[in-house]
Amino acid sequence: MPGMSNREAVLQRLRSEARDIRRNSWRALRAAGAGHVGGALSAAELLAALYFHYLRIRPDEPDWPDRDRFVLSKGHGNAALAAVLAQAGFFEESRLDEFYAYESLLGMHPDIKCEGVEMSTGGLGHGLSVGVGMALGARLQKKDFRTVVMIGDGELQEGSNWEAAMAAAHMSLSNLTAIVDYNKVQQSGHVRDRMALEPLADKWRAFGWAVREIDGHDVGEIVDVLDALPLEQDKPSFVIAHTVKGKGASFAEDTYLWHNNAVTDEVYAQALAELEAQA
Amino acid sequence: MNDAGKRTSVTPEWVDIAANQSRLSFGLAVTELADRDDSIVAVAADTLDLIGLRTLMERHPERLIDVGIAEQNAMGVASGLATTGMHPYLCGYAPFITARSMEQLRNDVDYANQRVVIGAACSGISLAVSGGTHHAVEDIALMRSLPNMTVIVVADAHQGYHATLATRDHDGPVYIRLGGRAIETPATPVDADYEIGRADVLREGRDVTVIACGCMVPEAVSAAETLEEQGLDVRVINMHTIKPLDRDAVLAAAAETGGIVTAEEHHLTGGLGGAVAELLAEEYPTRMRFVGMPAEYAIVGPTDKVRDRYGMSARHVVAACRSLAG
Repeated sequence: MPGMSNREAVLQRLRSEARDIRRNSWRALRAAGAGHVGGALSAAELLAALYFHYLRIRPDEPDWPDRDRFVLSKGHGNAALAAVLAQAGFFEESRLDEFYAYESLLGMHPDIKCEGVEMSTGGLGHGLSVGVGMALGARLQKKDFRTVVMIGDGELQEGSNWEAAMAAAHMSLSNLTAIVDYNKVQQSGHVRDRMALEPLADKWRAFGWAVREIDGHDVGEIVDVLDALPLEQDKPSFVIAHTVKGKGASFAEDTYLWHNNAVTDEVYAQALAELEAQA
Repeated sequence: MNDAGKRTSVTPEWVDIAANQSRLSFGLAVTELADRDDSIVAVAADTLDLIGLRTLMERHPERLIDVGIAEQNAMGVASGLATTGMHPYLCGYAPFITARSMEQLRNDVDYANQRVVIGAACSGISLAVSGGTHHAVEDIALMRSLPNMTVIVVADAHQGYHATLATRDHDGPVYIRLGGRAIETPATPVDADYEIGRADVLREGRDVTVIACGCMVPEAVSAAETLEEQGLDVRVINMHTIKPLDRDAVLAAAAETGGIVTAEEHHLTGGLGGAVAELLAEEYPTRMRFVGMPAEYAIVGPTDKVRDRYGMSARHVVAACRSLAG
């Protein structure tokens, strides 16, 4: 587009990919008939920026040894991960219609056997430890690949995260970044009511991480923080991305009712209409 | 120093370092592997001396990853390392590295089918004085239920060393069950060959077979010697690999002797006895007796006395064999 800065072109692309992630997530979830809507939609911009701006990957060579690693620790967001992997070219978008299907590699949670998936996740509180191991693997083999782990906010209630947090800082793993998709809602209600996390940034700083808070739907802010990684020398980076659960579907926003719910043709039609109107 | 000290063909430092404790011979083997191969990395959970990792730490400090007292994290870190092409040896206490981190073990290691070797020290009730919190008498059952896991129970320090070396070229996750802090009675030669999945027949016999693992192997040998004096010819098999089970050795024993006794330092549910019984029930129904820990939590005391109290001594193996032969 004439007159558009390079940065604005990048951001436009990422907004477009994020819209596609939402549309493709709905596509997968409709095929499944139900699923984790809220936590897929909240992560769309973050995943778009990771896969189309930050991560050094080769979709036609998924096992490239020097690739950056991304682990979706909040594995129930797999509809969005499947969407972005398809958009990035790891597999055909038509595979999204096989979500939850018999013998599909696309189930409710990521499976390492699926192209582009770095770890089978779904049990909460696992991804950050695995990410620590990946970051150590890079250091030991003198490779410069980077590891990013996306964690859910409710997931941070699992104690294992804090074991990993302590270790990553102790080992000065500046090649490791954790991003929390802070959509404020978990399965049974608002995080603040179920088991509050605040002061979240202070906790991670106290654990020895470099911390930054961003608007997780603002692709400009996301790109800026990714470009600034590592946020501090010799520290792992923790990005608190403030997001909205169910973002982009008015009926699903900020409510636990759409953490996991049935996705009918009617729901799908309304969701797609709303996405169209936002474009 | 016992006679193993005269046969140090494996390595000059062998006896001093391993001291007839399989937990230390595991660490010795991992250290040797690390010397030979840059992909070998030890993951510890504040278990440096428990497993004998100080030498590795001195020689290869970057490849000694100690995550502190955090078994869940240790398991996930080991899995993550394995995904990058490293070959982690995870060193922990049997009760904690299994039950405490069981979900990480199942999901991150076994479900994701990563090449992680778990060395589990102080298994069974070897730390009898520590009480039930520090006993691992369900770990074989847990590990055996994991589809991708290879489950090894070493009989002594010699076997701990060779079994650990043998995992270097083994694909998929491995669990190696190791002994506690006491000196273990050698049951295998210092330089015996080791092959994962191939049982060792320590003693031929026609009347009854004892299939044993771990610290019950020397007890089984002792029982067989006692029974020989009583006119009973007892075969003794060291079933050091519980999974995959050596089916041929079990089926041959069932066909060639008059009954099978299993002996293990583990609950009677789900361990070696269960594995043997599952096979025989389908393939060759055979009279059996089970020697192991009943469904109780053990009392505190000297390990030998506590083992004996719960039925895990040579005399119990003798009684079980006699009940089959009678």
